[in-house]
Amino acid sequence: MILACGNSLRGDDGAGPWLAGWAEERFHSNAGVRVIARMQWTPELAAEIAESNSVLFVDCAIDGTPGEVRISPVECAEDAGEIATHHNDAPHLLRLCRELYGVSPRSSLLLTVGAGSTELGEGFSTDVSSMMPEACRCIERIVLEALSGG
Amino acid sequence: MSRTVIIDPVTRLEGHGKITIMLDDGGAVENALFHVTQVRGFERFSEGRPYYEMPSLMARVCGICPVSHLLASAKACEAIMSVRIPHTAAQLRRVLNLAQLLQSHALSFFYLASPDLLLGMESDPTTRNVLGVAAATPVLGKAGVALRRIGQTIIELLSGKRIHTGWVVPGGVTEPLTAEKRDSILALLPEALRDTQMALAAYKQIADKFKQEIEVFANFPSNYLGMVDSDGSAVYTDGNLRLIDQAGYTIEDDISAIRVTQVFGEAVEPYSFTKFPYYKPLGYPDGCYRVGPLARLNIVANMGTDCADKELKEFKQLSKGPVESSFFYHHARLVEMLYAIEMIERIMADPKILDKHVKAAAGVNRLEGAGHAEAPRGVLHHHYKVDENGKIVWANLMIATGHNNYAMNRGVLQAARAYVKKGKFTEGALNRIQAVVRTFDPCLSCSTHAYGQMPLNVELLNSDGEIVDRLVQG
Repeated sequence: MILACGNSLRGDDGAGPWLAGWAEERFHSNAGVRVIARMQWTPELAAEIAESNSVLFVDCAIDGTPGEVRISPVECAEDAGEIATHHNDAPHLLRLCRELYGVSPRSSLLLTVGAGSTELGEGFSTDVSSMMPEACRCIERIVLEALSGG
Repeated sequence: MSRTVIIDPVTRLEGHGKITIMLDDGGAVENALFHVTQVRGFERFSEGRPYYEMPSLMARVCGICPVSHLLASAKACEAIMSVRIPHTAAQLRRVLNLAQLLQSHALSFFYLASPDLLLGMESDPTTRNVLGVAAATPVLGKAGVALRRIGQTIIELLSGKRIHTGWVVPGGVTEPLTAEKRDSILALLPEALRDTQMALAAYKQIADKFKQEIEVFANFPSNYLGMVDSDGSAVYTDGNLRLIDQAGYTIEDDISAIRVTQVFGEAVEPYSFTKFPYYKPLGYPDGCYRVGPLARLNIVANMGTDCADKELKEFKQLSKGPVESSFFYHHARLVEMLYAIEMIERIMADPKILDKHVKAAAGVNRLEGAGHAEAPRGVLHHHYKVDENGKIVWANLMIATGHNNYAMNRGVLQAARAYVKKGKFTEGALNRIQAVVRTFDPCLSCSTHAYGQMPLNVELLNSDGEIVDRLVQG
């Protein structure tokens, strides 16, 4: 499952939904791939995660170099923290999934694209635009590896 | 020496709020206020926009109950158009509103309130959240997630999007329902019914543990306002309003949307950006009232569906007259969820539900129109005036959370007096004071029609109630 997050009306924050749209098209004929894009990650998504073998979270990162594509493993949150009604991070969604359904995906990765600007407006900054093909290649590689059991 | 205790922010609410508790020289609670610290401007920035944009524009007031804004706004526009929408469109809108009621009530009960109810008001605050509920009672945690998901899925099946759909438009809806989607909706309902019945049973088992909270959680006589059908049964989308008094007698009935601003006024207080609506003949604050699940169940004679009617009968046995403690908003919410599921199933069986005629067309035929609907939190009212070209020249919104504003403030004061003794309080006491507000499930973003992170105004008051210092941020 590809689980993207972002707001296409907030500049580079729209990277997640855009990449989800690309993945939807790229893997539309593959029943083993599900793509969900949301403006925020809400607790109900734990139920979707519970039904998935592998999860690739896709988001923009405001703490990264603009345009930088980063891939990192996601660990289940150790602290109970505060699960928010409107927005949660990937580790807490994994924790909620584990508490409620007693399962964890075999693999959980987070792909982020460093944001240059998240001001109001559609379209990406130059840095992010230029790196979207690289982000697409990364998603393709991760999904194909997951499908092959890698 | 007098002191002021500030709880900021109040947690597990939709939006940003603050509570100020003022203590006298002896440490007793002198006053307590619930502030809504957001400010927005939807009524103003909609001026000049064409009326047919209003439903989509106004839905952005809220991400939890955008459907209610869509419906109230579309109905106000239809009053301007002088048009009656097709039967099937009206039925589909009812389903949309009930699906929203289901997901919003599930969020309120399971995500926001159940940590207090299931884990305890005094439980460890670091785990007093939905994750703690999931760990302690996974079955109920799963039910909460499932019910929210089912409500949202029905909204998506009907309208194409979970939030901020453009499906509801002045004149009806843009697309009819397909048989495939109808069947998908029907397939979701048995699980929803089972989960809601389980939650109701669980609630009834634990409610007795909260006798003290029931006693002081906004437990006082008040008036109640809600939508009711002409036969006295529950209705949430197409009906007029009834105001009852503290004994349950009708004060004013059959209040149509266009009459709302004639009948109700909106007072303002210096400590909150949310207004304080009141019934004009009784004045402010005597004319204040409560809305939402508790009010609706106090007003209706029956729900109109089998399981919900059995539960309503039991609910009404809680009191000889109207049920007064706001703690019972939780109970009422669960009864309404049951009703929503049953009524969706009934509407889906309407032989005309797949009819393709779902939109009526008309232009500007009146220069003023109003519409209302029951939002999950209570009555929502939109009222517009347009010029001859259909551009908005005036807009006014009365929001459920605003209707409850006075009662929330009284409730906070009642609870603060019960739990803050001699100037001392525990974390559990402060949590209970916030929990009073949570019973109303206020949506502060809605009530202020606010935008983004809001300016914060912190006031320090002395024992005479005078502002001695003020910090304004933003």
